[in-house]
Amino acid sequence: MEKFHSESIGATNVENLQFNVPIRRMRRTLLGTVPVESPLYSFHPVTRFFSLILLGVAPLFIDTPELNVLWIMLILLLMIYGRVDMSRLKIYVPLIFTVALFMFSIAILLPGEDPTYIPFKFMGITIYYQRIFWALVSYVRVMALLFGSIQYFLTNRETDMLVSLQTLKVPFPVTYFVGLSIRGADMFMQDMKTIREAERARGLDEGSLAFKDRAKLYAMYMIPLFTLAIRRADEIGNALFVRGYTFAGEVLGGGKRTSTVMNLYQFKVRDTFLCALQVGLFVTMAILQLKFSQFRIDHSPLNAYFLSILT
Amino acid sequence: MAPIIVLNNLFWQYEGQEDFALREICLKIEESSFTSIIGPNEAGKTTLVSCIRGLIPRSYHGILRGSIEVLGKNIADKTELELAKEIGFVFADPEAQFTAMTVLEELAFGMENIGFSLNEIKERLEWVTEMTNIQDLLDKSPFEISGGQKQRITIASMLALKPKIFILDEPTSMLDPLGKDQIINILTTLKEQEAMTLIVVEHNIEQIAPLSDQIVLMADGKVLKSDSPQDFFCDIEPLERLGIAVPHITSFASNLLDLGLYEPPLPLTIEQAIGPCRLILEQRGRE
Amino acid sequence: MVTKMTTQQEGAVWELKEGEIRQPGIVHVVMTALFTGVGIVVGALGSLSVPLGFISAFWPGQAIQAVGSIWYGMWGGIAAAVFPLIANSLSAAAPLPVSIAYMPGNFAQGIIGGWAFRFFKADPSLKTSKSWLVFTFGAIIVPNIIGGAWGSTVLRMFGLITPAAHLVTFAGWVVGNSVASWVLGAILLRFVSPLVIRTKAFCKKYWA
Repeated sequence: MEKFHSESIGATNVENLQFNVPIRRMRRTLLGTVPVESPLYSFHPVTRFFSLILLGVAPLFIDTPELNVLWIMLILLLMIYGRVDMSRLKIYVPLIFTVALFMFSIAILLPGEDPTYIPFKFMGITIYYQRIFWALVSYVRVMALLFGSIQYFLTNRETDMLVSLQTLKVPFPVTYFVGLSIRGADMFMQDMKTIREAERARGLDEGSLAFKDRAKLYAMYMIPLFTLAIRRADEIGNALFVRGYTFAGEVLGGGKRTSTVMNLYQFKVRDTFLCALQVGLFVTMAILQLKFSQFRIDHSPLNAYFLSILT
Repeated sequence: MAPIIVLNNLFWQYEGQEDFALREICLKIEESSFTSIIGPNEAGKTTLVSCIRGLIPRSYHGILRGSIEVLGKNIADKTELELAKEIGFVFADPEAQFTAMTVLEELAFGMENIGFSLNEIKERLEWVTEMTNIQDLLDKSPFEISGGQKQRITIASMLALKPKIFILDEPTSMLDPLGKDQIINILTTLKEQEAMTLIVVEHNIEQIAPLSDQIVLMADGKVLKSDSPQDFFCDIEPLERLGIAVPHITSFASNLLDLGLYEPPLPLTIEQAIGPCRLILEQRGRE
Repeated sequence: MVTKMTTQQEGAVWELKEGEIRQPGIVHVVMTALFTGVGIVVGALGSLSVPLGFISAFWPGQAIQAVGSIWYGMWGGIAAAVFPLIANSLSAAAPLPVSIAYMPGNFAQGIIGGWAFRFFKADPSLKTSKSWLVFTFGAIIVPNIIGGAWGSTVLRMFGLITPAAHLVTFAGWVVGNSVASWVLGAILLRFVSPLVIRTKAFCKKYWA
């Protein structure tokens, strides 16, 4: 936190005024807002990419909700450690609630039939315990999976993603395509912003429009945006042509293609260790669940507790 | 010295168009010269430089007649990578040319395509970022920089290839006055320090004319005039009829010439006009 | 809005002219990438604006999938498969493994429309009743039925919906996609197709 004294802003006749300005330096990317500085950046992008695989996929193997809750807490701690602006998570709050609403509603209203289901009454409605608990299991698992992805995109720039793909020897046409798509998305968003600002400058007040009119407005934005995209395709195609771009990434005279940006990152010993650890953990979890069912619902203390109450 | 570019009886018609966009183009451009191409809109300026670069006919459908020779070889016999190495090209819209995630990647992209080693790339990056004053921008993303900065980056990314011929198609048209000045400064530096052949399509004649060794006037798909700047502006009335904005000092001196007060050659800059104007005032003073 | 055209005139847009050679090139790769970018934004914004979990109500992204394949053939199909993966990750609309599993369904949601327009030689500018029919059934309803069947099955396989909810989920997917995509797709095809058809990137066949 930095304190600005009133003199520094010229308000000399207002004494003892101090402004506490939190400085959390963030940088905008298409994929989110990432911290300008973060201890996570000392790890190679491929190490961070493996964290996406581990954190964003491994919860599939976990049925016990307690473990997935712990998984989510671990991810949140990782974000805090990575100096992520946690207020960015606000945009996901509606999704968190609506997913819960959707999943639990389905479990209550369309539980299906099974003689082993244990029914109980709640506010006059018959609810089947196994369905509700399974909804809880799935919900927590989905949240863990989503937070695994969110963590990755809030701590990695587009370049990091591309470097990780290049390091993993993903072919040049694919990595270049992904990069160009991301750049295209950014251009499209900038154009959309420009068009909306132009509309506002002409007096359009979107907030006062009914939902139906707003939907119509967004649909009509698409026409100039697409015509711009089409024009840009020719221009970008020409720009790539003059830079000697070829689809397969061939270079003049044959030979290996240099990747300048890859050489900015160093793959250290601890990256090797962490990658191996993450892969090992992933495989272990998969084996533990698929072969030995170590993470099944039966092993959930919460499940045991609820069952003891109901039976 | 043999000309580096020779266009011989060049015609080009875009697919679906009735008229030829280029007609009977015969033009020679000397090595290491600075050539400006001017003319009203739809004159065929961009089409002409696109032909020199090889964009036409490779990226466009249409009918091409005549020949284009660059560095002694027909352009049709060159590969895309050879063309990329020999001829740099900068378009008017900086936004559509920035295809990478960061400035560094953008600068390196062309060099990676040509196949330079990492050390070579680093050396050229150092040189080109200093030349275009973009050292502090390397880590920035495209949405963190202005249009003028993007255009400087585009120029830098092409310069890094050290092409023998460097074409800029209306490089300042989408920039603010400060951005325009920065680009002109880069062109001035290139002319003074590098042995590149520069071809610039511009409407901003005021600043481009003093840099030029040759000015080419185009209209209606044809080359109407091609001369050194001094000879080019000796008769400005036809230029003004075409809507060409002649440098103010040249126009002023031309009026004085008509009044019998000034003698050719007409100046292109205020500095060139100071001496003769002082003489006129001294003579008037004596009278 | 609807004009009388002969079948020959209507289908002419898909026919190669005598001596015309069309080949895949840089412009197709660029257009695919830009379309993927467009889809990322439309898909992510659509999911965020009306989130209902994995089946975001009124997801207009399918319009991009269909229109992309109608205009750009297989290139549009590639974009159709790829952009939801990135859009879902950005908006957290679906976990990564689910998004990967969705890909064949997303590809179908795009390419079926592209196939339908080429097979039935329908006018991409929607100038005839036939083209409207092909658009409605071939580019919207049928692809969304197939995509919805695939997607709801994916959700069931991941345990995200109960077997009893499979049909409701499927119906919601089909209706939610179809309504939004019909409106957006019709606007794009009607007003932007005439421009697209004149460009180099427009694919009369599947790759060029």
